[in-house]
Amino acid sequence: MAFMKKEIAHFWELLYVMTEKEIRARYKNTVFGFFWLIANPLLQMIVIGFIFTFFMREPILHYNYYLFVGLLVWNFFSLSLTKATPSIMFERTLIKKAVFPREVIPLSIILSNAVHFLAALLLYTLPILFLHTLTLLSIPAIFGGIMVLIAFTVGVSLLTAALNVRFRDINFFVQALLIIWFYATPIVYSFSVIPAKFVWMWRLNPMTSIVQLLQFGFIGSAPPDFLLCISNIIVTVVVCVIGMVTFRKESRYFDDWI
Amino acid sequence: MKKKFPIAIQLTDITKEYTIHHEKPTLVEKFYKGKEEKFIALNHVSLTIHKGERVGIIGRNGSGKSTLLKIISGIATPTSGRVAVFGRSISIIDIEAGFHHDLTGEQNIFVNGMLVGMTKQEIIKQYYKIIRYAALRQFIDAPLFTYSEGMKLRLGFSIAVHANPEIFILDEGLGVGDDDFRKKAKRTLLENKKNRTIIICSHNLELIEEQCTRIILVDKGIILRDGGMDVLHSYGRFIEE
Repeated sequence: MAFMKKEIAHFWELLYVMTEKEIRARYKNTVFGFFWLIANPLLQMIVIGFIFTFFMREPILHYNYYLFVGLLVWNFFSLSLTKATPSIMFERTLIKKAVFPREVIPLSIILSNAVHFLAALLLYTLPILFLHTLTLLSIPAIFGGIMVLIAFTVGVSLLTAALNVRFRDINFFVQALLIIWFYATPIVYSFSVIPAKFVWMWRLNPMTSIVQLLQFGFIGSAPPDFLLCISNIIVTVVVCVIGMVTFRKESRYFDDWI
Repeated sequence: MKKKFPIAIQLTDITKEYTIHHEKPTLVEKFYKGKEEKFIALNHVSLTIHKGERVGIIGRNGSGKSTLLKIISGIATPTSGRVAVFGRSISIIDIEAGFHHDLTGEQNIFVNGMLVGMTKQEIIKQYYKIIRYAALRQFIDAPLFTYSEGMKLRLGFSIAVHANPEIFILDEGLGVGDDDFRKKAKRTLLENKKNRTIIICSHNLELIEEQCTRIILVDKGIILRDGGMDVLHSYGRFIEE
């Protein structure tokens, strides 16, 4: 038991150090560093905001802010997944050298992205304060949304990272999927425009309630309905369990395939 | 004599099969290919190594030496059989692995030290010893890309030594730095603190002769011979056959 406790403590320590390394290494040689974090979704927001207002039948209140928070969430998710999926292959020298819980490789990537994501959200809150859309309900909504987002990102990333070692085309599959997935999530449009007979598809996509929870929390858009939330959370839990179990099982054989 | 020491490593009936893939493996391939080609790297190998033994593993390329080391260090998992390893093991296979070139020497000591199994506390305690051993004092806050190849190897070796492993595994000898440092490294290995078990796999027979007392000859996935120096001396003849 004492041994287990030591193992777990070492895991968290290692994860912390690796995350720190990820953050440090990323911005080591860029002068702007943090600036890019905001600039990227800002540019996307301006472009999409300009074009989509032509097509929208029912305008969304505070559309630019609506877009921006969705894009922040999406960028965190897609960047984490794109980087975590081939991460085991990129660290093959490490895998062949030392024995450590392999989970820290994709997890440190996700956590370093999460730090950036939270920093960006904090900055985003400043102009939001002037909209007077924040309420007491905002806190649990935003907090809950972030929790589900991180859990879901971890689950999917562990699964794709583990499978990509054995099947290299998973990486390409993820790239293609992300493009479709972006449009399958209410980021540029509102959930209310989806015809009732297709709603089940969004119930299978946890990104729906995640994005909706944050949109609701920050700018008071319609919150996700109860059924959607529950089914999204169930999917998240299932994906998480499958991801963790698959990674655990596959990680013992990573060395054979890289 | 051996019986007095507790067991450090016990391998029981280990078999390791690899799937041969000619190109990058893909999921699509799995659906139309069906049967996979197998290669048996280790074939029902059993081996017991006691604490404090100094074992040299020799054999031709592709004989299964490296696979054996990987199984012992826990990097690879056997297809069947049981592995029991008592104590922390460190394998020096790729000394530089895990270094990040944009980070400073100091930051790399922490990342690398923890990857090989040290806790933060241990690293803080050993920090100055690591730097002194690697002779890197004035460079320690410079980013790693400014280091020479030798400096990086020294730092990596120093971290491994100060991690105080009970089992030290070396693949392909000591490529460490210049002559002086190589001598220092060899001396460190010979010091053998706390009955440290040392396993070296190399084509460099001189190194094996200098460092080891027990020699294991691996060939075609099985242990062909297991004994003392006589195994090493008859190796030359074996290779010619």
